[in-house]
Amino acid sequence: MTSQIERKTEQHKEEVAAQDVVDFKMVTFTLGGKDYGIDIMRVKEIAKFQQFTYVPNTAPYVRGVYNLRGDIISIIDFRLMFNVPVEEKPEGKAENGLILRLEQNQLGVVVDSIDKVVGFSSRQIQPPHPIFGDINIKFISGVVEHQGRLYIILDVDRIFQKEEKKPAERPTAAETVEEEPEEKEGTAEATSAEEPPPEAINREFLQEALSSFRGFYVSGVNDQWFISRMGEWELSRREKGLDVQITDRDEAEAFLAPFWSRCNGSFWEEALLRSVSASLPDLENSLVHVWNPGCGGGHESYSLAVLLRERYPDVQLKIWAGDTDLMKISTAPNLVFQEGEVPASWSDYLVSGRNGYSFSAAITDLILFEFSDVLNGTALPRMDMIVSRDVVSTLEPAKQVKFFATLEEVLKPSGLLMLGENEQPLDMSSWELIDDTISMYRFR
Amino acid sequence: MRVEYINPFVESAYNILTEVLKVEVQRGELYLKNAAMPMLGVAAIIGLAGDVEGRVLFDMTRETGIKVASGMLTSMDMDPVEDLNEMARATLTELANMITGQAVTKLHNLGFKFDLTPPAIFTGENMSVSDSNFEALIVPMDLPMGKIEINVAIRERA
Repeated sequence: MTSQIERKTEQHKEEVAAQDVVDFKMVTFTLGGKDYGIDIMRVKEIAKFQQFTYVPNTAPYVRGVYNLRGDIISIIDFRLMFNVPVEEKPEGKAENGLILRLEQNQLGVVVDSIDKVVGFSSRQIQPPHPIFGDINIKFISGVVEHQGRLYIILDVDRIFQKEEKKPAERPTAAETVEEEPEEKEGTAEATSAEEPPPEAINREFLQEALSSFRGFYVSGVNDQWFISRMGEWELSRREKGLDVQITDRDEAEAFLAPFWSRCNGSFWEEALLRSVSASLPDLENSLVHVWNPGCGGGHESYSLAVLLRERYPDVQLKIWAGDTDLMKISTAPNLVFQEGEVPASWSDYLVSGRNGYSFSAAITDLILFEFSDVLNGTALPRMDMIVSRDVVSTLEPAKQVKFFATLEEVLKPSGLLMLGENEQPLDMSSWELIDDTISMYRFR
Repeated sequence: MRVEYINPFVESAYNILTEVLKVEVQRGELYLKNAAMPMLGVAAIIGLAGDVEGRVLFDMTRETGIKVASGMLTSMDMDPVEDLNEMARATLTELANMITGQAVTKLHNLGFKFDLTPPAIFTGENMSVSDSNFEALIVPMDLPMGKIEINVAIRERA
């Protein structure tokens, strides 16, 4: 039967590409709807597995052991091993599988369905692309197109090189990161040599994931932070035995958790107020204009208003605060909060209402909240200070450039710019660092 | 645009359109825009002055304009219009005036002083409007007759 298929495919092969010598054959099968192949020299037979003997305390992808005509072989489920969706099989129905002949032993693998045997010239095999398929690139020996279908050729020797029941790691979707440290000995030397430089790929994937899951863009603004965070993240994820790659929004949030500046989205606490206040110069003019793009719900703007009022009691203050989030900015002008949310020293500026506290007119009159997008340009007057924490990192890199151009256009000479604690201006040459902990810069 | 200005415009547009046309009106997602915007074909414009400077623009296709004007006229027991004639233009102008007028009244009650300029109406193909460094709030209104985009650009007088 197999040989029949072989002959047929070979014939076909000869028809389409007579000049190509068929020197590579593989058994093809599907996993999660995609086509894969294994070198026929490694396949002993195609089998149906009926009853596994479950072996406790093994990795989840070890289905158990199987009695193959007197030989006991281990059965690995490729779908579980590679984290591809498993088709529901009715209870008791036989699983499709292959018996592989490896260097030292035999091994059974469970797949969704066996397709056929195809033959072609090994010259047609192309190297795999780093983001190919759901299976780690180093387990793929190549990709080949045959009769309009794309087959991913798995390198079983490499998959099972350590010990058949314990592959080096749990490869997962789109993962091409460095090896997780294996508890089994003898893995380190086996994996390090042929790896593509993992750093670059790793970085690219993480950046991609952060922008798509969380709208966070890595650029000159934040890459100092990003690089150190990447190291930390890798370590902590491995300690927990998790993948380094970010695969959903929650993981992106977890990655970014240390990025956000203190009191992001809440009123500033005393310590932050003190450091900002200390970095502000004494003034001669009687008019201070401040811009707070990306003010969100307004907590930052109110904190600034109180801080500046205290720091410069006699000047005329005006704060323009804007955000593109209509829901958030709509609540900002009439922000209501509970007493514990603000520093105790602010009591002079509060009025109590039915639902909680709000700011007195002495503060609210200082701030003008706008539904506005910085990138649309602005007709604002020249500013003495711009506070925009953790905003620019959420803009696409091209927009970040525009954002800074707008800031530089609006800010007065030697005006102050306060960015997020882990951010810095794209072009440092126009800025002078005043205080690193609060990311305060002076415009040259 | 100042947050306080948004709701009066959205509310009065909704109120007036439902009241005058007696149809179901759906408000689309609000958004901001600043680049040159293509106009749909018929635009009524009203300027704002006072504490602020700016304008409100009501933009719709010619077809929608005729249907909306007809709708208004028939609700007042008058004959519908077939074309964008004098009567249709005057009707659309009046609609723009009513919406803006109500919004300005609401704003007045909130303590903002606005003055209106007399409305003007523009018609034509391939028109676009652009005011650089002047961000506009777009309030899309979906009616059975088609879409009316209300384009509000207001800035504080420095």
